[in-house]
Amino acid sequence: MESRRHKGAGGQAVPAPDREALRSQVREKYREVAVDPHRTFHFQTGRPLASRLGYEADAVDSLPDPAVESFAGVGNPFSLRRLAPGERVVDVGSGAGFDSFIAAGQVGDQGRVLGVDMTAEMLDKSRRTASALGLDHVEFSEGYAESLPTEDGWADAVISNGVINLCADKRAVFLEIHRVLRPGGVLQFADIANGNPVPDEALRDVDLWTG
Amino acid sequence: MLEEIGFVDIRIGDAIDTFAGTVGEEKARAYAVYGYAFLARRQ
Repeated sequence: MESRRHKGAGGQAVPAPDREALRSQVREKYREVAVDPHRTFHFQTGRPLASRLGYEADAVDSLPDPAVESFAGVGNPFSLRRLAPGERVVDVGSGAGFDSFIAAGQVGDQGRVLGVDMTAEMLDKSRRTASALGLDHVEFSEGYAESLPTEDGWADAVISNGVINLCADKRAVFLEIHRVLRPGGVLQFADIANGNPVPDEALRDVDLWTG
Repeated sequence: MLEEIGFVDIRIGDAIDTFAGTVGEEKARAYAVYGYAFLARRQ
């Protein structure tokens, strides 16, 4: 198992948590968000969250509850740039599909959206919603951020929301995103960052990575 | 990291208080965790 090392608050290199252990915990956490979105999590979900993060109200209101209720993003990846009509987009960690559906509206039916997620329950939910909405230009595939199921240079844009911070090897994720983007393509994502140093013991604790 | 990998024109949006009013707010405050939008172009 490849081990990435991070700098802890003490400046010492600290091994990142086990990638598979982290994936397992993240998958379990977001399985819960998919099947029971109205329970209490350490983060907000759904329409109230989308409103607070500044998503366009009309776009959110047009989506059915299954498309929004399990939304657990940390920011608005469309706030610095709106996708252009006709663009091909990969959504890394698409969850129940909220950002993919927002993207679908922006790129229109001449564009393409590929949502990628590793959680079976989220994939199921997003696929059912896409089918119910009749969105032929949106597809959801199982996969990992470090190994995206598409060829080199396919995407005009890559979006993601609160996912990369949950990956043990962020460099590998950014390299993979670079691979699937065409030259000149755009990465627009939202994620969290900490302003205060994280103690070494916290970096080793998988539970704290997933909240 | 983004520049090293081959991204340019990097922009970062304003901080968003993602965890305000949530169960995770205390931990977020302890580490000054905020949400941000990022934009970058692949060379």
